Amino acid sequence: MKTRFSLFAALIAASAAVATFAQEIPYREYEPLDPYEPVVSGDLKLSGTYQYWKDPANLDYRMAGNPDENWKLNWKFMDPPFNQAVHGGHFAVDRGEKLFRQLNARGRFASCLGVRNHNLQNLRAGYPRWRADLKHVAGLEEVIEYCGGKQGRVLQNGSYDNSSLSIYLASLGNGQPINIDVASGPMKAAYERGRRLFHTKAGAFNFACSSCHTHNIGKRLRGNVITTIYGDAAHYPVYRTQYMLQSLHLRFTECNLDTRTQPLLPGSQPYTDLEVFVTALTNGYPISVPAERDW
Amino acid sequence: MRFFLAGLALSLAAPACCAESAQPLPADASVSGGKTMAPQVIVNSGRLEWAPYKRDYTRWLTLSYQDRRATPEPTRFEMKAPLAGDKARGKKLAWEWCIACHTLPGDEWPGTVGSPMAHYKQFKHPDPLVFQQIFDARIFNPNTVMPAFGTFGLLAEQDIRDLVAYLQNIE
Ligand code: HEC
Ligand code: HEC
Repeated sequence: MKTRFSLFAALIAASAAVATFAQEIPYREYEPLDPYEPVVSGDLKLSGTYQYWKDPANLDYRMAGNPDENWKLNWKFMDPPFNQAVHGGHFAVDRGEKLFRQLNARGRFASCLGVRNHNLQNLRAGYPRWRADLKHVAGLEEVIEYCGGKQGRVLQNGSYDNSSLSIYLASLGNGQPINIDVASGPMKAAYERGRRLFHTKAGAFNFACSSCHTHNIGKRLRGNVITTIYGDAAHYPVYRTQYMLQSLHLRFTECNLDTRTQPLLPGSQPYTDLEVFVTALTNGYPISVPAERDW
Repeated sequence: MRFFLAGLALSLAAPACCAESAQPLPADASVSGGKTMAPQVIVNSGRLEWAPYKRDYTRWLTLSYQDRRATPEPTRFEMKAPLAGDKARGKKLAWEWCIACHTLPGDEWPGTVGSPMAHYKQFKHPDPLVFQQIFDARIFNPNTVMPAFGTFGLLAEQDIRDLVAYLQNIE
């Protein structure tokens, strides 16, 4: 009887163990987990191209005009102040300003976004951030949707109106360095989750973000040259003919679709963690909107 | 007791991999009606539209934390001789699946992520080795970025035989 009982118990334990094992640790593959520095100059240890694009006002015209070299500018020659062209991004800034005036008639929108002392210029540089009211780390576009909702206005994350508010607010901070603190607390936790996700392989081709943006920088995928992920968050949302206005989360859906991976929803936690990671890698780099990118 | 034994047997028999496992799609994936949806930005609108994407990716792992599905594990495939590959068909497949990363003869926009394929014939690699590299390169290099075309069900055995025939004959 005693033996029977313990055999029984062992079987329960074993099946529970197998079940939890299968439940909790499905087989996953990761690219080698690289170290990064949560500051834009960290690129000197990754692609080394930072030396060419660190000063957005003084990029090298010769490099910008040379198709074999222009990728080394991290496509920053398509950002202001170097790029003086008038494009769809400027219309989006105007739209954003109009919407902001409507929503902020009584100052409620700005205070919901987290503006203190009328200091709108500082807003973009400090997002994503911990939001005590939401009880999680959130990007600016998520908060725009949330604060619009409080006034009954639909501003879905990734929509044109949401991104035009985001690009307008960014434009007020043009030239200010991105500045988020990922040294401790929930921001650090989000950064670490984002870093791990960046190296997590997924989709039909089993690619991680790092398969391209860390381990194949400067290589060609036919007509595309892959660039560093450092510095990218400073020019979002970005004008693209195909998307009109593309938020950073919609860029993630695009890279996912292009690599045969089922995308996630804008504002989802994994995308926000990726946003925290890539924004931290842009710390110290000046906001430069409205920028444009190919197609 | 029977019940637990059966449970144990079931959980052991459940595939350790699989794309098509019974695990549900995560709630934060952009899926509607079981199909992959792509976002569409509409000018001067507060709504983001979604349209079915040209291809469906729902069967593969996403980046969602709620995704409990596993990645197909590295798999060996013993290719039985003879190769019996159609190199003309292989060339067509290569221009579809491989050209993004590999430079193939006659391409004006060469991919440089993978090794160049010019004069591949000179290497005289055994066919089964080249077959395995395409079927699942992780067997040789766990950190490879080359997709596991066989294991992930992207290409059939005959497709890979045709590709091997093409590569092995690039003068
Ligand atoms: C197969 C290659 C590949 C993979 C995998 C990939 N990307 Fe990209 N990505 C590209 C290419 C090519 C571009 C366009 C050129 C560039 O800016 O690097 C790009 C552009 C970007 C940009 C825009 C850069 C800019 O200047 O505006 C961001 C941000 C980005 N990727 C993030 C990601 C993230 C996050 C992931 C993972 C979810 C990812 N990518 C996965 C190839 C890839
Ligand atoms: C995303 C990039 C990528 C794609 C797509 C790709 N490869 Fe590769 N391939 C590589 C890389 C990188 C290597 C170098 C070895 C390694 O890492 O496995 C390689 C190596 C190889 C080799 C061994 C080269 C040698 O020196 O003998 C063969 C053969 C090969 N690939 C064939 C193919 C074929 C056929 C296809 C399409 C069905 C393909 N590859 C698609 C990236 C790719």
